[in-house]
Amino acid sequence: MNLFLSQITAIVWKDFVTELKTRELFSAMFIFALLVILIFIFSVNLSIVKASEVGPGILWVAFLFSGTLGLNRSFVLEKENGCLMGLMLAPADRTAIYFGKLISNFVFLTVMELFILPLFMIFFNIDLLEHLLPLLLVIFLGTLGFCALGTLLSSLASNLKTREIMLPILLYPLLVPIVIGVVRMTGQILAGEPLSEMMNWIGLTASFDIIYIGVSIMTIDHILEE
Amino acid sequence: MVENPKPDPSVIEVRQLRKEFGVLKAVDGVSFDLKRGEFLSIFGPNGAGKTTLIKILTGLTRPSSGTARVAGYEVEEGIPEMRREIGVISHSPALYADLTPMENLIFFGKMYGLEHPQESALAVLEDVGLAPRRHDRVRTFSRGMLQRLSIARAILHDPSILFLDEPFTGLDIHASNVLKEHLQTLHNKKRTILMTTHDVSCGLEMCDKVALQVMGRFAFFEDVKDIDKENFEALYFDAVRNNQFTMGIRPH
Repeated sequence: MNLFLSQITAIVWKDFVTELKTRELFSAMFIFALLVILIFIFSVNLSIVKASEVGPGILWVAFLFSGTLGLNRSFVLEKENGCLMGLMLAPADRTAIYFGKLISNFVFLTVMELFILPLFMIFFNIDLLEHLLPLLLVIFLGTLGFCALGTLLSSLASNLKTREIMLPILLYPLLVPIVIGVVRMTGQILAGEPLSEMMNWIGLTASFDIIYIGVSIMTIDHILEE
Repeated sequence: MVENPKPDPSVIEVRQLRKEFGVLKAVDGVSFDLKRGEFLSIFGPNGAGKTTLIKILTGLTRPSSGTARVAGYEVEEGIPEMRREIGVISHSPALYADLTPMENLIFFGKMYGLEHPQESALAVLEDVGLAPRRHDRVRTFSRGMLQRLSIARAILHDPSILFLDEPFTGLDIHASNVLKEHLQTLHNKKRTILMTTHDVSCGLEMCDKVALQVMGRFAFFEDVKDIDKENFEALYFDAVRNNQFTMGIRPH
């Protein structure tokens, strides 16, 4: 296998083995997302507002806030014991490090989201099964953009003492186009609209995914350097 | 782009190297050569710029000015071929605490593109005497064991040059002796070694060349056979006490 790909695979393998042993990332993200949904279910009167109107916002708040926890932890693990230095000393392209961490973050967050979806369906009494494929596409696009930008910014924030505060401050404003896109699309899907009605939003979200990945490839060298 | 000449995999050449952080000169005009198989010990008080010098030579940070070639490659370019030739042991072990030694070394073996990472990992673990603990989590290891595992990680890809940043810090006498033995073995195998340390007797015992770095500059750089060890110790303690050279030695 090409060295670049095998280095990416090695980073993903290492993150998976670590997570399987500790279950730190998944459990923290899952419990946080569940708590967010529970808080909203008790604060929103579903007999007055429609679940399909408030649901998309609540779902993505749960995904993004819990995902931020995961992103913070992801690069902190690399900083512990100077592991990031070990990675930087390896003859690996910095983009291999970025893509390895991006794929790990993306898979962990997606798995958590797949566990949260059935609970969301039960709590809000929404039938997601009939809209499952379009919804999964929207979740894919949103999670990819979030992880693409989040992985870059968490590597930047990991060098700061105030990283837990800095990551959301840096991340959320830049993520606004994606958040607007995925919340709108999720709302339209729950309202029963077909995918063809939301091609503009799909295009916008996919474009920002590409922009975030492109910017990350161009800047990761400088960000990882001390 | 300057083309690199044919790389000599075991030479360090440093010319007028400088690194400034604002007004602070962490490395201030350092120049020296290290030939294949030589062992250089660098002493100096805390904050003298020793770690910064190693970070520059290993491509972890860029110099403000000057040039450095490691294994024939310009370090400023930070090219992967240079990183293949070096191994680094620092204060931090650079090991994942929740993985086992085998998992850590297989991971780094894959990052270095080794053909048989599993076999290489087992071989170096046997070298450092940690093969019986290869399936235990690194989190359960003592400082001495971590340092031995750190050596295993650094020599996994058989580098020709080793950089050691205060490797004896926090080790007990037994662990220090084990580390010394490993370094001696690597020295005998003609590995070029650059080590920073505060342990004068240990540093002088193992090295061929000795340097004293004070306030970013090499105040002293000699063959170890040409120096009076007792006099050097006095110079070193004077430098540590005053963070400058006051005993009339001409800066290098």
